[in-house]
This record gives sequence, structure tokens and C-alpha cells, in this order.
Amino acid sequence: MSRLRLPLLSSASTTLRRRRSPRSSYSSGAVITSSSASHHTPPLKLQSPLFLRPLSHSASPSALLSFRRWAESLARSSAADLTFDGGPSSSELIREISWLLQDATSQDGDTFLLRTDLEDLYRLWRQRIEERRPFQYIVGCQHWRDLVLAVSEGVLIPRPETEEIVNLAARVEGLQDGMWADLGTGSGAIAIAIARMLGENGKVVATDLSEMAVEVAQFNVGRYKLENKVEIRQGSWFEPLQDLQGKLSGLVSNPPYIPSSHIHGLQAEVGRHEPSLALDGGENGTDHLLRLCEGSISSLKPGGFFAFETNGDKQSEQIVDFMTTQWSNSFHDIKIEADFAGIKRFVTGFRR
Amino acid sequence: MEIDGLKSLLSDCAEDKDMCAMASEELTEAFGQEKRLLHSLLKSFLPKDDDDERDCILEVRAGTGGEEASLFAMDVFKMYEKYSQKNGWKFEVIDTKESDLKGYTEASGTLSGRGVYGKLKFESGVHRVQRVPVTEKSGRVHTSAVTVAILPQADEVDIVVRNEDLRVDTYRSGGSGGQSVNTTNSAVRITHLPTGIAVAIQDERSQHMNKAKALKVLRAKLYEIERRRLHSSRSKLRSEQIGSGDRSERIRTYNFPQGRVTDHRVGITHHSIDDVMEGQMLK
Ligand SMILES: C[S@@+](CC[C@H](N)C(=O)[O-])C[C@H]1O[C@@H](n2cnc3c(N)ncnc32)[C@H](O)[C@@H]1O
Repeated sequence: MSRLRLPLLSSASTTLRRRRSPRSSYSSGAVITSSSASHHTPPLKLQSPLFLRPLSHSASPSALLSFRRWAESLARSSAADLTFDGGPSSSELIREISWLLQDATSQDGDTFLLRTDLEDLYRLWRQRIEERRPFQYIVGCQHWRDLVLAVSEGVLIPRPETEEIVNLAARVEGLQDGMWADLGTGSGAIAIAIARMLGENGKVVATDLSEMAVEVAQFNVGRYKLENKVEIRQGSWFEPLQDLQGKLSGLVSNPPYIPSSHIHGLQAEVGRHEPSLALDGGENGTDHLLRLCEGSISSLKPGGFFAFETNGDKQSEQIVDFMTTQWSNSFHDIKIEADFAGIKRFVTGFRR
Repeated sequence: MEIDGLKSLLSDCAEDKDMCAMASEELTEAFGQEKRLLHSLLKSFLPKDDDDERDCILEVRAGTGGEEASLFAMDVFKMYEKYSQKNGWKFEVIDTKESDLKGYTEASGTLSGRGVYGKLKFESGVHRVQRVPVTEKSGRVHTSAVTVAILPQADEVDIVVRNEDLRVDTYRSGGSGGQSVNTTNSAVRITHLPTGIAVAIQDERSQHMNKAKALKVLRAKLYEIERRRLHSSRSKLRSEQIGSGDRSERIRTYNFPQGRVTDHRVGITHHSIDDVMEGQMLK
């Protein structure tokens, strides 16, 4: 039997993601920007995620093996420089290499079919290490809950903390067949996950100010065949929801909440590559959160539920304080929920 | 009966070497067949296990033999993957922990299909390998071992795990977390506090999926404890005759230089190790 050990793909984990055929409107040949300051000049066209591109290239096992060796040794030798600002460790980088290969290749007997050429893999990995380009932008997707979402420069990569907001929404009873809204939807992550657990008549309106986010969210909604359940609208916070005043059963949002002064010191993957429109929450980070609290008074119907993500601890307490002192007759059962790290991450409650 | 005939032929033909060799080969073959028959007969006499129809979780762990054991653990894991494909079952990798040479120190997967647990439960135990490790310069044959565990899958109805009984550990970035952090580390470890059983999963790319898988494995482990408690009295017959599913029991020896696989539970030797490793011949 063959003793050559290749970066074999676990057949199981790949089938799930490859079963769906790409319903992309983006041409797979379009070039994505690779500059490290890409959010200043948003690319005009999106490239479809690596795992959805056609297998139009090939490589020998030994060529792939040497790519893997090269990538691993680059990861090992550079990790020390990356971890100082909270960047990835070498073992995390090495796992990313496996995932990159999982997304980029498919085995066919003794040759490997590739979704991009080998040269591109080298280029991508160099970007990962040298430019600190987030892994999720490299492969063009983020695995989040049980979803695989397309992401791209210009759109925030959904965070694991945010997975919980869907559980919070799922716990609420009696609102499954109503109208929900996800404001600042980004890749569409929260909207899609909530749409999948709503009842037959439940719907989600997902909004974003960013054109890029709207485009990516629409793509993801289409991939999960939720066009009839999730409607994407472009605009600032409540502005696109004029027709839904007082009608929402649920309102969820993960708005930008990082205090402006912190943006500068962020981990390179975040600070240099993710859009500041998705991160910057104004002077103390609460600008958008407060807008959302206020706007939910007029948009939620009586008994409607809201859940907001915050920068954690103090910020959550501040929001709760504000809601209970300023708008105590508008809301009830205002609560703080922790994330998996024990940080007070979410504020939830109900419209009176 | 055929065996008696062959035996007498053997003693009669002391002069004729070729004839003798042929007869002895046929005799071995006939013995093998008889044993196989006996084995499947035994299996069919055993009271059917209530859990036979369930899906199962496969765990392969490298035992003695260091790196070579890890490489063999990977071969064995793949052997079951191929076997399950041949049977039309669904095979899903749960988690793998790679060794330095890209073998597996540990690997786990789920197998789903008709009667999977019933078909695989007797695989639980020690699988020995004899071969020249890739790392061995002098060409000496080493013996290493991996252990295999087959657990029936259990769902929420079989095993109720209370949230208060679980401690869930995840990667923590330190600092504010949330939007401030980009990480691909979604590893999850779940500890069941009353029993101390801990399951860590890191192969999935979302925390949600790692957690779901860890819970699935944990549930199977708790169910297995419960099963063993219930079955301990009536499993004596089974353990004597066909294997207890005990993890310390020897199941097979895979001898690569001689191209044979010996099944210790029934004493049968297969002479086509490649087929076995390709998932063809597990019985
Ligand atoms: C932290 S991201 C969250 C994205 C997504 N909901 C998630 O959790 O992954 C914040 C989002 O709010 C959007 N945003 C920023 N300002 C906005 C505004 N004034 N109106 C609507 N959306 C806005 C950003 O474009 C970004 O997509």
C-alpha cells in the first residue's frame, strides 16, 4: 500500500460544503484586491470563495507536498512575529494550511485537482504571513455555526462570539412566525441563521449601509436558498425599515462597537484588513448601539424581542443602565448574557 | 467429511511431497472455512444486542510503538473509512490529532447506516502491526499496536446531559474579544463534571460545529458506561466466545512482511493484507 502521506482530505467534511453547486453571480476569474489596505479602495468585483470554484487546475502529489512543507516552515519561522499583537500561533497556522488545501484541492487517483493554480497558493500563503491577510479572506469563506459563508474584503468576518446571538433568539417563544430584522448584517450571518430556525411564516429583513456587505449577504442568502425568507435592504440603520414601524417581532444587531481610539492598536488581521465601517463605534464605542436602542422603541411591536452584541462587560452595563433609566417604560426584562469566554457580551430584552 | 479425508491423504502420501503440500494447504483452507463458518454461526446464535441497529462512533488511538503506531493508526482509520464506503455507509471524520509524521495519535469518526454498530462492535480492542517502519533505517521489523473502540451512538433521548454538569472550554483571546479579534481557533473541550470525561474537538472550522461534535462523542461515552453497567452480568458468554468488546482484547495482527492478517478472536489468517487494508475483508 502507498506510504506516501499527503494532505488527504477528509471526505466527510468536504462533501457538505461541495454538495451545493455555486449559485454565484460573480465570475470566478475576477481579481480580488490583495493590497493590505484594501478597505480604503473596495474592490469592485468579488471573487467566489475558493471552495466553490471549478477544479480547473491540477498538481502532482509531490508538488502539493512541497507546497505544504514550504508553507509549514514559513508558518513556524514567522509565528513568533505574529503573536505579539494577538496574531495566530504556529499550530493555528498549520491547521489553516490543512484547511486551505481542503478548500483548494480534490483528489482524483494519483493527481490532485485544484481550484486555483499552485502559484496562487504560494501567493496566498505569503499574503497570510507577510501581510497578515485574514485566513477567511484568503479562502473567501468563514465557517460559522453550521453555515459556510462567503466573505470578502469589505465585509466583516463573522465572529464565534456572535454565534450565540442566534441561540438567544431561538430561546424566545411565540415570535417564530413574525418579522425579524438584522441590522448591519455584513455577510448575512445572523439573518441566515435566524431565518433557518423561524417558522413557516417567519421572515427576516437584513440591512447594511455597505454596498459590498449587501452584495455578499445576497450571495449567501442565495446559496442557502432563502430568497423567500430573507430580504436584503441597503441603508443606514432604521432608514430602510420605514414600512415596518411597530411591526417587528425581533430585532438583532451586532453593530460596530469598538471605541475609535482602540482601532489603531487592533490585531493586524482586523485593523489592517477588515472595514472600519464594521468596527468603529465612535468615541466610546456606543454610538450605534444607542441609536439601535432608541430605534427599537418605534420599530418593535409590543412583546417584541431585541438582542444586541457589545464590546463586553462595561459597555453592556452602560447600555442596560441607559435603557433602564431613560426608557424604562418602553422595555422590560432587560438582561445581560455572557459569551463563551464569560464576557458580558449581549444585551437582550422585550418591548413593552 | 472433507477434513478427515484430507488428513488421511496427508498421512498416506508421506512420499509425495507436492501432493502433501497441496493437501496441507487445502487442509488449512478448509479449517479456515470451518472456523469462519463457526464464527458467523456463533455470531448468529448470540442474543441480538438492542443497540445493533444504531450508528456508531469509531475511535482509533495509537498505542505502543510511537510514531509507527501513529502511522498505523491512520492506516486502520482509513481501512474503516474504506470498509464503510464499500458497505454504503456514511463515514464522517470527527477529529484527528496528527503526529509529527502526519500519522494519527488519535482519530475519531461517525459511521451511519443499517446495522453499523452490530457489524463493527467486535472490532473493539487491540490491533497489532508488524512491519518495517518508514523511520527504520536498518530494515528491522517492529511490532506496534493501536486500539480501536466502537461505541453505539446515543441521542438526547438516551442520554440526558444537563447543562449544569458540563464545563465548556474554548479558545480565549484575552482582551475584549468579539470584533477586536480574528482567529481560526475554534477548538472546544467539554468536560462532564460528574464523571470527569472530557472530549476535545478542534477539526471543525466553527465553534458551533466543534461543540456539537464534542457533545455527540460525550453522549456516546456516557451511554457506553451505562450499557456496560447494565450488560456486565449477561456478557460472560459473549466475552468467552467471541470477544467482549473489551479494549484490551487482541483483535488482529497485521503482518506486512508476510502479507497476512491474523484474526485472534477466531484464529483465522487472511493472506491478502492489501485487501484487508482496502476495507475488503473485515468479517
Ligand atoms: C460588526 S459588523 C457585523 C456584521 C454581521 N452582522 C456579523 O455579525 O458578522 C457591523 C456591520 O454594520 C454595518 N454598518 C455600519 N454602519 C452602518 C449604518 N449606519 N447602517 C447600517 N449598517 C451599518 C457595517 O457595514 C457592518 O456590516
